[in-house]
Amino acid sequence: MNETPLIPPGVKRCSKWQFSLWMAAVTAVLLWGVYAMFLCWFKGLNQTNMNDAYGFALWIWADLAVIALGGGAFFSGFLTYIVGKDDLKNIINFAVIIGFICYSSALLILAIDIGQPLRGWFIFWHANVHSMLTEVAFCLSCYFAVLTIEFIPLILENPRLDKKPFLHHLSHNMHGIMAVFAATGVFLSFFHQGSLGGVAGVLFGRPFAYREHIFIWPFTFFLFTWSAAAYGPCFTILVTKITEKITGKKLVKDNVIHLLAKISGWMIITYIIAKTADTIYWAVVTAPNAGFTLMDFYASPTYNIGILFAEIVLCGFIPGLILITKRGRENPLLLTTAIILAVIGVSLNRWVMVLQVMAVPVFSFNNWYTYLPSWQEVATTVLPVAYGLIVISLAYRYLPVFPQEKELNPID
Amino acid sequence: MKIDRRSFLTYTTAFVLGGAAGSMLSPAPWKLTDDIAIWTQNWPWTPVPEDGEVTHKKTVCTLCPCGCGIDVRLVGGRPVKIEGSTDHPVNKGSLCPKGFSGLQYLYGPARVTTPLKREGKRGEGKWKKITWDEALTAVSDKLAELRASGRPETVACIADSDQGTIPNLIGRFMTAYGSPNFLCAATAKDAVEQAIYVTQGKQGVPVFDIQNADFILSFGAGVLEGWGGPGRMLNLYGAGKSSKTIVQVEPRLSDTAAKANQWIAINPGTETALALGLANVIINESLYDKNFVENFAFGFDRWTDENGVTRDGFTAAVKGYEPAKVAQITGINQADITALARKFAKAAAPIAINGRGQGLLPGGIDESLAVLMLNALVGNINKKGGISVMPDFDYAKWPEIKIDEVASKGMQQPRVDGAGSEQFPNTRYLLNRLPEALNVAGDGVPIQALLVTDANPLYTMPDTEAAKKAFDRIPFIVSFSPYMDETASFSDYILPNHSYLERLQDVPSAAGISRQVISLSTPVVKPVYETRHIGDAFIMIAQNLGGFIKNAFPWKDYETFLKDALKEHWRNLKRKGLVELSHNPPEPLTYLFNTASGKFEFYPTAQTNGTDQPAALPAYAPVPIEGDMQRFDLVLTPYDTIRLAGGNLASAPFMTKTVDDTVLKKETSFVEINPTTARGLNLKEGATARLTTPKGEATVKVHLYDGIMPGIIAMPRGLGHTAYSVYLADKGTNVNTLIGSIADPASGLDMAWGIRAQLTRI
Amino acid sequence: MKEKNSHSNAKRYGMVIDLDKCTGCGACMVACYSENNVPFKTDETNKLDSINWIRVFKLTNNKPYPDTEVCYLPMPCMQCDGVGKHGHSPCVSVCPAVATDYDYSTGIVSQIYTRCFGCRYCMAACPYHARKFNWWDPAWPADTKKYLSPNVSPRMRGVVEKCSFCFHRYQQARDKAYLEKRAELEEHEYQTACAQACPVNAITFGDLNNKDHAVYKLKSSPTAFRLLERLQTNPKVYYLTSKSWVRRAGDNYLAHEEPENMKTTVKEHH
Ligand SMILES: Nc1nc2c(c(=O)[nH]1)N[C@H]1C(S)=C(S)[C@@H](COP(=O)(O)OP(=O)(O)OC[C@H]3O[C@@H](n4cnc5c(=O)[nH]c(N)nc54)[C@H](O)[C@@H]3O)O[C@H]1N2
Ligand SMILES: Nc1nc2c(c(=O)[nH]1)N[C@H]1C(S)=C(S)[C@@H](COP(=O)(O)OP(=O)(O)OC[C@H]3O[C@@H](n4cnc5c(=O)[nH]c(N)nc54)[C@H](O)[C@@H]3O)O[C@H]1N2
Ligand code: SF4
Ligand code: SF4
Ligand code: SF4
Ligand code: SF4
Ligand code: SF4
Ligand SMILES: [Mo]
Repeated sequence: MNETPLIPPGVKRCSKWQFSLWMAAVTAVLLWGVYAMFLCWFKGLNQTNMNDAYGFALWIWADLAVIALGGGAFFSGFLTYIVGKDDLKNIINFAVIIGFICYSSALLILAIDIGQPLRGWFIFWHANVHSMLTEVAFCLSCYFAVLTIEFIPLILENPRLDKKPFLHHLSHNMHGIMAVFAATGVFLSFFHQGSLGGVAGVLFGRPFAYREHIFIWPFTFFLFTWSAAAYGPCFTILVTKITEKITGKKLVKDNVIHLLAKISGWMIITYIIAKTADTIYWAVVTAPNAGFTLMDFYASPTYNIGILFAEIVLCGFIPGLILITKRGRENPLLLTTAIILAVIGVSLNRWVMVLQVMAVPVFSFNNWYTYLPSWQEVATTVLPVAYGLIVISLAYRYLPVFPQEKELNPID
Repeated sequence: MKIDRRSFLTYTTAFVLGGAAGSMLSPAPWKLTDDIAIWTQNWPWTPVPEDGEVTHKKTVCTLCPCGCGIDVRLVGGRPVKIEGSTDHPVNKGSLCPKGFSGLQYLYGPARVTTPLKREGKRGEGKWKKITWDEALTAVSDKLAELRASGRPETVACIADSDQGTIPNLIGRFMTAYGSPNFLCAATAKDAVEQAIYVTQGKQGVPVFDIQNADFILSFGAGVLEGWGGPGRMLNLYGAGKSSKTIVQVEPRLSDTAAKANQWIAINPGTETALALGLANVIINESLYDKNFVENFAFGFDRWTDENGVTRDGFTAAVKGYEPAKVAQITGINQADITALARKFAKAAAPIAINGRGQGLLPGGIDESLAVLMLNALVGNINKKGGISVMPDFDYAKWPEIKIDEVASKGMQQPRVDGAGSEQFPNTRYLLNRLPEALNVAGDGVPIQALLVTDANPLYTMPDTEAAKKAFDRIPFIVSFSPYMDETASFSDYILPNHSYLERLQDVPSAAGISRQVISLSTPVVKPVYETRHIGDAFIMIAQNLGGFIKNAFPWKDYETFLKDALKEHWRNLKRKGLVELSHNPPEPLTYLFNTASGKFEFYPTAQTNGTDQPAALPAYAPVPIEGDMQRFDLVLTPYDTIRLAGGNLASAPFMTKTVDDTVLKKETSFVEINPTTARGLNLKEGATARLTTPKGEATVKVHLYDGIMPGIIAMPRGLGHTAYSVYLADKGTNVNTLIGSIADPASGLDMAWGIRAQLTRI
Repeated sequence: MKEKNSHSNAKRYGMVIDLDKCTGCGACMVACYSENNVPFKTDETNKLDSINWIRVFKLTNNKPYPDTEVCYLPMPCMQCDGVGKHGHSPCVSVCPAVATDYDYSTGIVSQIYTRCFGCRYCMAACPYHARKFNWWDPAWPADTKKYLSPNVSPRMRGVVEKCSFCFHRYQQARDKAYLEKRAELEEHEYQTACAQACPVNAITFGDLNNKDHAVYKLKSSPTAFRLLERLQTNPKVYYLTSKSWVRRAGDNYLAHEEPENMKTTVKEHH
């Protein structure tokens, strides 16, 4: 009897050998990260270059960054199922996969980052409801569950699984109620994206991070959620573009990309205006109340005022403006530039909200604190990237991720 | 039904998934998760200290000569914490960091846990554990052999102090054995003692009654850095902060200078000139104590000796030192000098003191003389808040000692260090001159066997490497140290003493305390290791040697000896832990001086034995600094910090932990340097540099510090150990290896305050 | 962290440290190590991984020789009350697992090593760097285990620790009083190890709410100030200094601001 192929019908995939070679390469990188991970677990966090002044460092940044970038999932979900932008159905699968990867990575990194991983569950069991981290932990895990559920039906569409009547119907029904999960996802995301902003914003002992009055609640929360919604889709587009480059195929129609880019653009513009307002109030009122001038916060060679410019203008207004103008987003070069700048911008914002917070001396008689990650920290941060590539490769090879692929790449 | 491969896989997968899902509903995984967390809370390698009944034992800290009363908290008989005894007259509850670290001198990797015999080369660190009998026999045999050869004087002993019955017992052993070569490291105390001896004809421990003084003029004495005993001085500072004025004169903003009411920055080595300058002002403005000077002093003005020759007096000696000139020498501005002189003379209870830093180094006699005479000018001798002499302790009653021919022949030989000789008649010990004496040509090394008791010369001696080479010429070295210190690790045998918390000993109050207090330091715990009381060890050696030596030690052990020696005091000591012998400074106007003139001698005739060579009157001569100015453009001075032990007994891990990262970073010491000087050498904060002196070189980091005089660089004592344990060894540089010793022509005492040095960026 | 501050006689234990007196000797640090089983490593020169529950900083006025001045600044945990109703300490408010908490009967901020899972959020929150992480498993070489005190449990790798105001001493004093049927503690009955150790008595400890305790008057003396007051951390450790440059170094000020004539915006809680 002839076996149902694993590869979805009507699409072309590279040879087993090419594929295995690629997978082998990526797995090697993955194993390097896994090795570092076990070093941290068995020998302790002395394997890192963190210290008592730099208690939060590369890993926490990675967490905040991937969650922001993974924001594409909930926001596309929101647009697709709730706002009803049906065009986006053609990219939602991929957005969900990317979200799944980002959120599982975030959880893994957290598990490496804590000094007593085997007690990690205390955060749920002995929860302090006032702590941003508690809120983050809860929503993060719940939303990860949601993403898993959103991912399952796609997995079930693998031809060989789809052949099983039970699985076929399961997947069919799940599709039916996907809007419910999408809604839940959106709801949860608004929370944890917001509380992630709170993580630094509530540190009233850290004048660089602290925001007052409405600028802490709801503003910081709003800013983080908004920025995730704004920049996340750019990451989805970026990864799609990269996949298209690697596979040498067009996978999503331009109108879909342009629609997402346009929405994203407007989100970025509105966000960056709000962010500017926040920065001005902070620089003019909040910081001086604590005895700091704006420049005190940018008085180090590493953390100079250029960083603020890069975050707000170079990687904020500029990509925003490109994406909202038709000619901008429809020019491939400008589009690529814009999404890359955007992705850098949101990562930079998370970096600043974690590492610069630690670097700024609060006492006039202390110096700026410096920190360079150890190779173990780097390896464990690269680990999720390798893991992501593997998941995407498998998904792309064996699942009908891109509904438009067949149409765009007919095989005769 | 037939099961093909594929459906088999499907079923197993289903089964596994179902099983997993099912077990999540069972309590098993949850219980497991909880147990694992509980395990992390009770890791077997995380100690759980045993609980027990809480008791307190009072005793005395002997980690330094200060002798603070301590209160040891024990739990189930385990000492867990040391605190100060508030009722002890020396420290009234105050302790220094060393004292609080005490338990790390009881337990820890630096302890020598059994007698050891050297295998391998000296200092190589290869040891063989031996029994006490083997150890004592080995030492006794060697000493017997040298005595048989008729040269008992070739045995020397280096001790950390000559106060108390343990050093005295050792001294008695040396006498009975027949060697005059009992050596002790000299401190500033010795210079002060000598100054007092030549001006008052009194031998004894000087007392600076800081407690009752209200204006303390300190010529560099680190009263908050170990001078006069940290526990005592810190306590006095805390209690007297508001009522006392402290003026600190020194070239570096030390902790004492930082806390003083006034810091006067002075060119190093010119303290004598300032003292004489102040005397000059006090005399010119006739602010001095007329009564004392006219009725109880000699040699103030010109005087005529028995041969009718008229001689200069003190007034003539200070004439040359008018403020303008002193200002030039010292770098202090003229107005400040005059103002200081007036404040000092007009204060109700002024006192002038000296002894750089902790007073670890003696300094020149002229300095101590000049400072002492400054005190005399304001009539500050033998009175409350002044300087007096505490008669040498005589509370221990020793039976007459009879010695044999060999011994008396040996005792008549000159001391190997030249102390007490024609050249240095008034000096008791000159350890600093020992290396030179050992370096005689050929193998006629004057010392054939060396006993080291509670001292660590191979760390504390200046030009340590040279000293080490010299010591290596001694065929037989024995250390009695409880710790693997530098000297112990370089010896042939180690007969480890108990640590202070395991040891019985009497503790006479250290220099400075205005009352004669003897405390009893009693064991807090039974000896933890195979150690023996140093007193017992010496008694046993004496008994092995037999004859007159054995007879000089008719006691079965140190404790019976102590009972016997302390007589009536023993019972009180056992009961109260301390006894106070009366030491009331005589009423003013009833001064008794033991000099030729029967008065306080501003012109110290004793120092000159009738000649003017060397000049008896104090005079300022720049202290020579070793090294050629062209090559070495800076001057390196050691400084003392209370957070490090600079003496024989090294810092505990807890002390090193308190040291700032601008003093030590990993294995590298910092030198303090003025920013302007650093700029000239193009050195930035934390830069690494090569430090070179005529004595040696080291890799250091620089710490830019505005508080140090340009051109001077400073380094703390107490780092750069090579022995003890990984918690101390190879951390930083031992400043003693970079500096040399300069003998004061009058006393032979080491008067070096620094050495020329060069810093080059690397 | 719910307000349990019902019974009126709530204590607010605090410290007043006289910087004019402090000689920087470090006895307080060592006494604290010994009292609280603080571990030691072979290299303690990286102050950012060296566990000190109280650290003595050396400040200078940055004037050139010989006008230079030095001031030593001992810093334990400030036991911050935070703004609003107290209990809102920077660290307590962020700990996701309630491993550090505010005790309303004493005002002391606790640290529960077996609850802490090492996320270090509290360290990020504390502007005083009072919190120290156990990057390594503590080791007690050559019998040093034998001097460990049973009153303070040794920590394990991966958790945060900090100054507890020697809380175990409070418990012991309270238990003693309880057995003697006394409700109140005498001032001398509960003193911290560092305050007791300071050889020059620069540290005064007691109940800031109790008029009979020395700290009550001292804290409102004209030369009194607190570190980083402007951040609204509301510390219970006060400092005394006669030097205005020291006071300035204790917080952040804009060029035109004068520490002395600035009202602290933080309300006291009595
Ligand atoms: N260049 C230089 N010369 C110095 C010094 C220096 O620091 N530098 N120090 C000078 C000073 S201040 C003095 S007083 C002398 C004598 O030096 P001190 O500081 O008075 O001697 P301790 O520090 O008591 O060291 C005593 C030695 O005996 C052993 N020992 C064992 N148990 C104990 C104990 O419980 N107490 C004590 N004290 N010692 C114990 C240890 O090996 C230790 O090395 O050396 C002086 N010489
Ligand atoms: N933290 C810390 N503590 C230490 C040490 C350390 O390095 N660090 N070192 C320990 C050691 S080894 C020592 S020796 C002591 C330091 O003190 P010690 O050396 O043990 O005792 P002294 O030599 O009497 O004090 C040093 C000098 O103080 C001056 N002095 C003060 N008062 C008087 C007085 O009344 N009469 C006389 N004659 N002199 C007085 C003298 O110049 C004397 O020579 O500190 C001990 N404690
Ligand atoms: S001053 Fe000396 S005696 Fe007193 S505690 Fe310190 S080391 Fe011990
Ligand atoms: S013990 Fe007292 S004097 Fe010494 S550093 Fe601590 S506070 Fe300052
Ligand atoms: S000082 Fe730091 S640790 Fe202590 S209470 Fe304040 S914030 Fe918490
Ligand atoms: S490190 Fe421990 S105490 Fe600090 S916030 Fe995390 S769990 Fe709480
Ligand atoms: S109060 Fe207790 S715990 Fe806190 S620093 Fe002082 S001694 Fe250490
Ligand atoms: Mo000493």
